[in-house]
Amino acid sequence: MRTFNLKAIGLSLVAPAIAIVVSLLVTTLVIAAVGSSPSDFWSTMFEVPKPRSRIDIINQTGMIYIAAVAAAIGFRMGLFNIGLEGQYTLASYAAAAFAGGAYLSGFANVAVTLLIAIAVGAAWSGIAGVLRTTRGVSEVISTIMLNSIAITLVGYLLNRYGVHEGNTVRTTKIDLVTGFSPYEDRDGQIWTLTIIAVLVGVGFWLLLNKTRFGFDLRASGQSDSVAKASGVNPTRMIITAMALSGGIAGLIWMPALFGKASSFGLGTSFQAGLGFLGIAVALLGRNRPLGMLFGAVLFAFLSVKSNDLTFATDVSPSIVQITQGVAVLAVVIAYEVVRRWRAQLEQRAVGQDLVTATEAPA
Amino acid sequence: MRRLTKLSAVAAVAALALAGCGSSDSGGSDGGSKPAASKDVCKDAKGSGPKIGLAYDVGGRGDQSFNDSAYVGLKKAVTEFDGSCVEGEATDGEPESAREDRLRNMADAGANAIVGVGFAYSDSVNAVAPDYPDVNFAIVDGFDPDTKPNDNVAYLTFAANEGSYLVGVAAAEKSKSGTIGFVGGVHNDLIKGFEAGYVAGAKAAKPSIKVEVSYIQESDLKGFGDPAGGKAAATGEFDKGADVVYHASGASGSGVFDAAVEAGDGKWAIGVDSDQYLTATAAQKPHILTSALKRVDVATYDFIKTVNAGKPATSYTTYDLKNDGVGYSTAGGFIDDIKSDIDGYKAKIVSGDIKVPTKP
Amino acid sequence: MTQESVAVELRGIGKRFPGVIANHDVDLTIRVGTVHALIGENGAGKSTLMKILYGVQKPDDGTITINGHAVVLKTPTDAIENGVGMVFQHFMLADNLTVLENMVLGAEKLHGIGDAARTEIARISDRFGFGLEPDVLVEKLGVADRQRLEIAKVLYRGARIIILDEPTAVLVPQEVDALFANLRELKDAGNSILFISHKLDEVLDISDDITVMRRGTTVGTADPRTTTKLQLAELMVGSELPSPETEESTVTDTVQLTLDDVSLADEFGRNLLTSISLQIRRGEVLGIAGVEGNGQAELVETIMGMRIPDTGRILLGTEDVTNWHTRELREAGIGYIPEDRHRHGLLLDAPLWENRILGHQTQAPNAKGPWINRSGARKDTDRIMAEYDVRAPGIDTPARALSGGNQQKLIVGREMSGDPVLLIASHPTRGVDVGAQSAIWDHIKRARRAGLAVLLISADLDELIGLSDTIQVILRGRLVGSFEPATVTPQDLGSAMTGGAAA
Repeated sequence: MRTFNLKAIGLSLVAPAIAIVVSLLVTTLVIAAVGSSPSDFWSTMFEVPKPRSRIDIINQTGMIYIAAVAAAIGFRMGLFNIGLEGQYTLASYAAAAFAGGAYLSGFANVAVTLLIAIAVGAAWSGIAGVLRTTRGVSEVISTIMLNSIAITLVGYLLNRYGVHEGNTVRTTKIDLVTGFSPYEDRDGQIWTLTIIAVLVGVGFWLLLNKTRFGFDLRASGQSDSVAKASGVNPTRMIITAMALSGGIAGLIWMPALFGKASSFGLGTSFQAGLGFLGIAVALLGRNRPLGMLFGAVLFAFLSVKSNDLTFATDVSPSIVQITQGVAVLAVVIAYEVVRRWRAQLEQRAVGQDLVTATEAPA
Repeated sequence: MRRLTKLSAVAAVAALALAGCGSSDSGGSDGGSKPAASKDVCKDAKGSGPKIGLAYDVGGRGDQSFNDSAYVGLKKAVTEFDGSCVEGEATDGEPESAREDRLRNMADAGANAIVGVGFAYSDSVNAVAPDYPDVNFAIVDGFDPDTKPNDNVAYLTFAANEGSYLVGVAAAEKSKSGTIGFVGGVHNDLIKGFEAGYVAGAKAAKPSIKVEVSYIQESDLKGFGDPAGGKAAATGEFDKGADVVYHASGASGSGVFDAAVEAGDGKWAIGVDSDQYLTATAAQKPHILTSALKRVDVATYDFIKTVNAGKPATSYTTYDLKNDGVGYSTAGGFIDDIKSDIDGYKAKIVSGDIKVPTKP
Repeated sequence: MTQESVAVELRGIGKRFPGVIANHDVDLTIRVGTVHALIGENGAGKSTLMKILYGVQKPDDGTITINGHAVVLKTPTDAIENGVGMVFQHFMLADNLTVLENMVLGAEKLHGIGDAARTEIARISDRFGFGLEPDVLVEKLGVADRQRLEIAKVLYRGARIIILDEPTAVLVPQEVDALFANLRELKDAGNSILFISHKLDEVLDISDDITVMRRGTTVGTADPRTTTKLQLAELMVGSELPSPETEESTVTDTVQLTLDDVSLADEFGRNLLTSISLQIRRGEVLGIAGVEGNGQAELVETIMGMRIPDTGRILLGTEDVTNWHTRELREAGIGYIPEDRHRHGLLLDAPLWENRILGHQTQAPNAKGPWINRSGARKDTDRIMAEYDVRAPGIDTPARALSGGNQQKLIVGREMSGDPVLLIASHPTRGVDVGAQSAIWDHIKRARRAGLAVLLISADLDELIGLSDTIQVILRGRLVGSFEPATVTPQDLGSAMTGGAAA
């Protein structure tokens, strides 16, 4: 049994390893094809990050990880919540607007703001859940549309109720929650609320592996007909999982809001695109808590380090998006290949077991 | 098997989404073919004059608009003052920390004049500038987001409404149908200023004029990199009877020009920021009436000049008609017949007789 | 036996296939113009062998000789070119095309798609008495007609050696007789047929030669004229044949399940179930006989709360459970052996211990409050594997790796755990080898003695007759007749099942 498990662990590392090698290879080829120097590129990318970059990587990892968990909750039950982007945009705006209103002070303001972020994210994704269960609308379609609606809606609300300053508009600024500075002050802080990422990760693992709800979720993801026959109520499950996914999505940007941004401004303080990164990282990490952590670190590292590129080389920082995209595609393919291979190994193990069991007495 | 299909579909969506971020960066028609490394002034310039850092907005060099205009100013300054330079480019959806990091990288590399292109740099410059008191910063379209003044930051703002006013006059006088149009990239305060000036100028020239106004996006900055959206918006306005459409939508403008081409003879488009007649395709050229100029190149050059002279500009500098920071272009010669009219309005604005509104 | 009289000869076929049991040292000789039966337990290697002969899989060792020529079959196309055709258990027909269109689909080169094809179809149909009408849509055809179409398709493509994979599994007795008549015509015309079946009566009835497989190899041949069913079964399992004979009645007076005038319609308003009323008492096994697709699945899903009836009431004991959800019903003590293990019974990629939890997520020993009790579930899985003889390396093995019989034993063990009051058993021994079948029957009988009420749905009439205290026949969503297992014959049931005669 022990060797079987060791082999299983080894096998589970094969796919991501292949995917990363492939994505590095493709990136290298693309850079060479446009006539730039791949070696310059890689030496810049793999240079040890500066202290402030290290902090940025940690902070970005936290937000990407929350997004990945939000996506994974849906993915694990076969629901494809592509709408994280809209959910966290709307939730972030609502939370920032509430926090800026300063109805509460200190810790209470932070706590209630987080609850509002969760509630708004959950409500927005819940729409897709309800549409799916009552009208049979695919959540892939509805969440993509809800993304556009959310972003437009936030723009409207911000234009209408925001604080206009210079050429920008934002919500009222709030007091930051002081973080932790491992280096000099000017290198920045690790945001206090990055702890949310840790909690979300641990919570996700517990939920998935230790609770009945998590079991139902995984069962639904593997086969909805089996889950239904086992007593899972599909309607309730879809709406719950969708709302949970959106609720977590609502938290994505909260570390940045209280750690650095202090207000919500489109194109300025608000960081868009984390929802899509989260989906990519969930795919890369195969919806596993540790796998996604690895993926989040990788993506954060690539994004942060890409900033050095225009500076030190003539490669556009957009190249890392190719690296990221190829990594995701490669991992999906590599996992399927490895999964089949693994299924064969397992069947062979059972076969051998049976042969020895039946032939021994003969 | 079915599950795999769905999963692959999502992976593809995710990859497209990532790639999509990438493509909207480059904007413009030649997004893929950025100027080759050899033409790069920052690669070759090794002069002993000022060392300049230029931090581009999303889109970077090659957007045929804003960022390119800043590069023109940089190039001129580097050549003239025998300086050197470093560049950095923003990516879509980047965090605040990435912009700060970019500025710090430049300062750490010894740049003594750093220009952030676009108001998005306002917060990051405000955060970084105090740490580098010997470095001079400038932000195009920028502002000071807090009450604490920075004595090493220049805010370069443009009276874009004034330039828009003049092309509004041109549009109204050239219109035969009595209806003209405006296409904005994103419905934010910056672009509303363009709209306000344009409408005011048109009404001044022809009080009965009707102006169709539309925006590509309410808030999503993708509106500045969406030629298809620009084309759809402009086509809608041409369909409603407009025969001149002015765009303030960055790289989406090429779609507006295409719409004018398709609308046929006698339909015009008006460019923005730089003289877009010069960069338009052969098919588009006969339809580009004029362009509202926003001389980011002048502002960039001027700022570097003050740094080079040892008297760096700080605080707010407004570029308007008076100092030729904004204006209109005449390439193509389509408005030669009304140039005197337009210059008449220009004189009144410069003298203060006409106050151009900043809000619609 | 001369060389000319041999259609197919397999010698020393081996396949180190990553399956449950690989083929090794398989020898098989099919004479021209005969029906050759291939029998064996599930997982004995029959399907691997068939796939090898049909070119789906390549053997690692051994030789295939067809009509005296050694051949290498890399793809089914190779097989067809060598005159080997196969009719799968699950038909491969396009419902929305006509018989003619299905026939020529993929074989357009042979006789075109026009009159030539039509003539050829008529010729095949008349020659073997298939009664095919070229312009009828396949969706209008019954199961038996579809099967004949499949056989005709194979002939149309020039096959002279036809593999039939459990062809009688989907047929009622009368249809089986008709099929056998067709097969005799085929063999008289010089075709050779490899007939795979579980049903020993049928094998003895139709075949000229019999080959028995066990554990991946051929263990012997038998002459149907001199062999008995029992001897065949013994060859297959290497032990004595279990019998489903009913013991003395254990039926009590306590009613455990009542259906009162239950009707169910589909989304278009067509009735799937019409006025179903039945009662099952503690200690009683109620068998439901019927041709598949006459409402059995809907009946089970309605009782299990996966569908809510439009009218009528369902009582569990004395409690009205009409609108209860599946989970509540399971918590109330209903065990459920689903018809389709893979669609409703197992998470194939999950380990066995997680499959132990499935369907009982809220019950001890699997759960403690909202938490999964991992150690409890794992320990209980060990118990089930021991008590129900589930053969697998361990409880962490994924369910997919198990053979069908072992998967089914795990399900039976799971559903029998926690002392259910009612068991819904849908085809509990379908696709299960004889050894596992007898074990499952024993478990059901034992539970019945202990007072379990059982609703048994089966296509295997022997199973129904052997286990049930009462048999009801379902036809087009109605219960159309009630029989005493002691006196009923398969012919009576078959007649009721096809609406031939009311009981």
